[in-house]
Amino acid sequence: MSNQNKQIKLSRRAVLAGSGASALMAGMNPMIAFSQDLPTLMWWDIYQPLIPLHQKIWDSFAASGQAKVEYTAANPASFMQSLQLAFRSGELPDVLNIPNATPAQIVSLQEAGWFAPLSDVSFDKPFQKAVDAEGFTTFGGDLFSFPIFSPRWHFASVWYDNEVVTDGSSLGTWDGVRTAAKEATSGERYGLLLPLQFGPRMRDTLIDLAMAAGSPGTIDWATGEYAYASDHFVEALEFLLSFQKDGSLHPASSAVDARQGRARWAAGEAALFFDGPWNSGVLKGNFPDMLAKTGVSGIPTPGGNTAIINRGPITGTFWVSSQSKNPELASKLLSELTTDDYYIGLAERMDQPPLDLSAVGRANVHPTYKQIVDEFTQTVFLAPDPLLRNPAIANVYSKMRDVTPGLGEIIQGAFAGAFDDPKPILQQLSDSMSRERERAINAARDEGAEVSVDDWVFADWTRGKDYAG
Amino acid sequence: MNKQRKNSIVARLWTDRWIYIFLLPTVALIGTFTVYPVVASVWYSLLDWNGFGDPGAFIGLDNYRDLWNDPLFWNSFKNTLVFLVFAVPLRVGLALVLAVILNGVFPFVRLFRTGIFLPVVTTAAIVGVVMRYILDPTGGPINFAILETGIVDQPVNFLGSASLALYSAVGIWVWKWLGITVIYWMAALQTIPRDVYEAAELDGANAVQKFFRVTLPILTPFTLIITLITVIEATNVFDLMLTLTGGGPFYSTEVIDIFVYRHAFTSNIPRLGYASAAAIFFAAAVTLVAAVQIFLVTRIRKWRKL
Amino acid sequence: MIGRRLNLWTTLRILALAALVLVWCYPFAWLISASLKGQQEIFSKGLNLIPEELLIENYMRAWGAAGFDNYMLNTALVTIGTVVLVVFHSALSGYVLGRFQFIGRNLVVGVLAATLVVPVGLTIIPIVDFASALGLTSSRLGIILALSGSGQAAAILLYAGYFRGLPNELAESAQLDGAGFFRTFFSVMLPLAGPVTATVSVLTFLTAWNSFLIPLVFTFGSPELRTLPVGMLAFVGSNETDWSGMAAAATISLLPVVVFFFFMQRYFVEGIAGAVKQ
Repeated sequence: MSNQNKQIKLSRRAVLAGSGASALMAGMNPMIAFSQDLPTLMWWDIYQPLIPLHQKIWDSFAASGQAKVEYTAANPASFMQSLQLAFRSGELPDVLNIPNATPAQIVSLQEAGWFAPLSDVSFDKPFQKAVDAEGFTTFGGDLFSFPIFSPRWHFASVWYDNEVVTDGSSLGTWDGVRTAAKEATSGERYGLLLPLQFGPRMRDTLIDLAMAAGSPGTIDWATGEYAYASDHFVEALEFLLSFQKDGSLHPASSAVDARQGRARWAAGEAALFFDGPWNSGVLKGNFPDMLAKTGVSGIPTPGGNTAIINRGPITGTFWVSSQSKNPELASKLLSELTTDDYYIGLAERMDQPPLDLSAVGRANVHPTYKQIVDEFTQTVFLAPDPLLRNPAIANVYSKMRDVTPGLGEIIQGAFAGAFDDPKPILQQLSDSMSRERERAINAARDEGAEVSVDDWVFADWTRGKDYAG
Repeated sequence: MNKQRKNSIVARLWTDRWIYIFLLPTVALIGTFTVYPVVASVWYSLLDWNGFGDPGAFIGLDNYRDLWNDPLFWNSFKNTLVFLVFAVPLRVGLALVLAVILNGVFPFVRLFRTGIFLPVVTTAAIVGVVMRYILDPTGGPINFAILETGIVDQPVNFLGSASLALYSAVGIWVWKWLGITVIYWMAALQTIPRDVYEAAELDGANAVQKFFRVTLPILTPFTLIITLITVIEATNVFDLMLTLTGGGPFYSTEVIDIFVYRHAFTSNIPRLGYASAAAIFFAAAVTLVAAVQIFLVTRIRKWRKL
Repeated sequence: MIGRRLNLWTTLRILALAALVLVWCYPFAWLISASLKGQQEIFSKGLNLIPEELLIENYMRAWGAAGFDNYMLNTALVTIGTVVLVVFHSALSGYVLGRFQFIGRNLVVGVLAATLVVPVGLTIIPIVDFASALGLTSSRLGIILALSGSGQAAAILLYAGYFRGLPNELAESAQLDGAGFFRTFFSVMLPLAGPVTATVSVLTFLTAWNSFLIPLVFTFGSPELRTLPVGMLAFVGSNETDWSGMAAAATISLLPVVVFFFFMQRYFVEGIAGAVKQ
C-alpha cells in the first residue's frame, strides 16, 4: 500500500511540475509528457518477497515515461477465485500470475482466452530456450509467458534452529530427523511443525519425500501409471506420521498454514520445519533474529544417500491478460524480467531460485540459500511431460477434473485420525486418477484428438538424469 | 364474456396501479440480484463448465447424477444436518434462558446485552482468526485453562481432530450468533401482557410455575418462527467455516456451502455446473424443510384461534 | 421481605451475568490485547492479557499505511446507502403486500420466501456478469444496489406483517381527509412503522457493514473503493505475519458497530417486539 501512496505522490508532484512548465514548452521535456497522462498497468501476484525488486523496475518504467504500475499483493489461498471473478467482470489486471499453476490449468485458461501473447520479448539465451515449450510458455508458436524461476528446487529441505539441533549432519536420514525431533521435544518446545492446514503444500512436500525414497514421482514414467499407492508414498506418509506417534509433532500443526507455521517455528515453538528455498528470504524479511541461528539440511532420504527429485517442465510465471488495454506496454515491462541483472536481483530476494541458477553464485545471498541451491543442482532432475511430446494432450488436460480426496486432504485425514490405514485411500486416489484420465482421453478423442494412455509412457526416461526428450 | 373478463382484469390492474408502482423498486432489485442469479444457477447446473471462460457444453442432468454418486457430497449433506441438529436447539434454548435473565431493568443490563451481542457484530473472518488462536492446542487460553485445572492431561485439538472439529464449529457458531436470538426472545417476552403474570401471581404461582404455565405457552408460536429463522441461518455458515477450518480436516467440517465453494472456486480446474447443481439440490431440500415448518406454524396458529 | 429477596435475586443475576459476559468477551479482550503487543509476544503462552508495553504504533500502521481511513469511509457510505435503500424499497413493497390483495401477490410472496434459502456464494457469478454488463462494478452505487437486492426478503416480510396489523380505521380516516394512496402511505402509515424501520435499519446495518463477497468482487478494479472487511483481507495478504497490525485493524473495524449497537439496542428490541406482536 505504501508503494501505491508513493506513486500517487510521485505523479502529483509531476503534475505540478508539468502544469507550471506546460505554458512554456509543452511536450519538450519527456518528464512532462510522462507526468500528464501516463497509462497505468495493474499487476497482481502472490510474490510479496519480490516487491522490492519489482518496485525498482516499476519505478524506472514510470520514470522513463512509459507507464505507472499499480501493484496488488494477493493471498495465494483466495487468489484464483479473485482472478475468475475479475475475468468475468472484464477487470483482469494487465499482468498477473496463476498461483500454483499446473500445465492442465494453464492450458484450460489459455483455451478460455485469458492471455495475450507477448510482443518483442527476447527469450533466447540457452537456459531460456531450454524451458520454452509449446503448451507451457508458447501457444501456436507465439511466446505468451516465460518462467522467472528455475525448475530445479524442491519443497522439503529441513530447516532447523541450530541452538537446539547442534549437529545438522544427522539430518540426512529419515531416522536422523526423527531422532533429532524427539530429542528437541522438551517443555514448551516440540520437535517438528508441519503446516497441515495448507493441503497443497503438504501434498508437494510428501511427493518430494516419496521421490527421496525412490519414487519416480506421481507418475511412473516406465509404465505411465499413477504411483500414489506405491510403497514409496506409503513410506513417506508413515515417516511424516511417525512424528505424531513420537509426540514430537507440534500439536498446533493441524491448524496452521505455511505462514503461521513458519512464524511459530521461528518463535521457537518447534526445532524443525520442512520448507522450500524461500524460507531464507522470508526469514530475512520478517524474522532476522531467527535467520542468524538457522541451519538447513537437504532433503533427507531413508538411507542417507543423495535424493533424486524429478521436476516436470514448468509453465510461465507472469501472464499478460487478454483484457489488458496496453498489452505492448505490459510485454515491454515483462521483458525487464529476462536480464542478467534481474536474475541476480531475484537470487538476492532468496525466493525460488532464479531461472539462471549461476546468478546465485554472483549474488549477495545468505549462506543457507547458497547451500540449498547447491543441493538442488545435485538432487533435482528434469522429468518428462506428455504435453511436451504430444501437443494434443492439451485437449486432455483441459478436460481433466480434480479428483477428491486429493493427496493433500489424505495427508490431513491421516493426521486427524479420519482413517487408520492410508494405503487403501492412496490406492483409491490412483484408481480415480486413472479413471479420470481415461474419461478425459476418451472425451478428447471424441473431438478428434490423437491421444492415448501411451502418451504417458516414457521408456527412454532414466531416473537420475535430465530427460532430454 | 371472455372479453369482458379480460377487460375486468385490465381494469383491476389499472385500479391497482399504485400497488404495482410501490412494488417496482423491490421487484427490480430482488429480481436483478437474487432471482436472476438463482435462475442462472439452475441453467449453469445443466452445463459442463469450468468457469474460466464462456459457459460450457449442455450435459443435461449429468451433474445431478454425479452428485448423487459423490460420497463427499453426501458427507457435506450429513455435516450440514449434524450441524443443524446440534446448533439450532443449543442456540434457541440457551438464548431463551439468557433472554429470561436479561429481560428487565437492573444495573448494567445494557452493558450485559452489548457484551452478549458483541460477537454478532463481528465480521466472521475476524472471529475465525481469533478463535483459531483461542482454541490453539499449545498457546490457546482454553487449553491452558483446562490443562491447569486438570480436566485433561493432554491438550485438546479442537479444530484439528476429525471427530471434534465439527462440534467445535457448532460451539463457535452458537457463541457468535446467540446475541441476536436473545434479542428475538426478549422481543417475544415483551409481547406478554403484564396482567397475565399478575393473574398468575394472584393464583399463588411462583417464578418457576409462572415460567412453565404462562410464559412458555405464549411463546410457542415464537419458538417456531425463531427456530425457522435459526435453521435458515444455520444452513449459511460459509464465512465462519471458511476462516475457521476451510472444511477440514479431511472434510470433517465440509458443510454444503464449503462443498459448493470448493468446486466453484478453489479447485485447480473448477466445476461451476457441478457446484451449481449441489447448491440447487440443497436449496430445494431446505425449502422443503422450511415449507413443512411454515405449514406447522400456520396450523398451530389456526388451532389456537379455534 | 419481598424487597430483600428481590435484591438477592438481582444481585445474583448481576454476578452470574458479569461472570458470563467476561468469559463471553474474552476473545475480544484477547484481540485488543494482541493489537497492542509485539509480534513475538502474541504467541507467548498463557492467559496474560496485559502487554509488556503498549504499542500504539500497531494502530498507526493499520490506520495510515494500510489505508483503513479510506476503507472506513467507503464502508460508512456503502452501509448508509444500503440501509436507506433497503428501508425505502422494503417499506413500499411490505406495505402493499401486507395490506392489499392484488393479482400476482401470492407469486411475489412465494418468490420472496423462496429467496430466504439461497446460498450466497453461488449467486456471485451471475451477479458479476450482470453488474459488469451494466457497468456497475467499480462503483459504490453498484455495491449499494447489489447489497440492497440480495437477501432482503426478511425485511419485506417484517414490514408486511406490521402493516397488516395496523387498524383499518387509520387508513380510512386518512382517505376521508382526501389523502391519496401515496400520501396515506407516507404521512400516515410509514411514520407508524417506526419500530420496524428501526429493526430493519439495524439488521441491514449489521449485514452491510460486515458484507464481504459483493464489495470484494465489485472493487477488483478499484482498490480505493474497498470496504473494511475486504481491506482486512488485503492487509492479511500483503502483511503476512503482521498479526498485531491485523488485530489493530480488526479492532478499528469493530468499534463503530459496537458503539452503534450500544446506543441503538433499545430501539432494536422494541422494534422487533413491535414487529412480532402482529
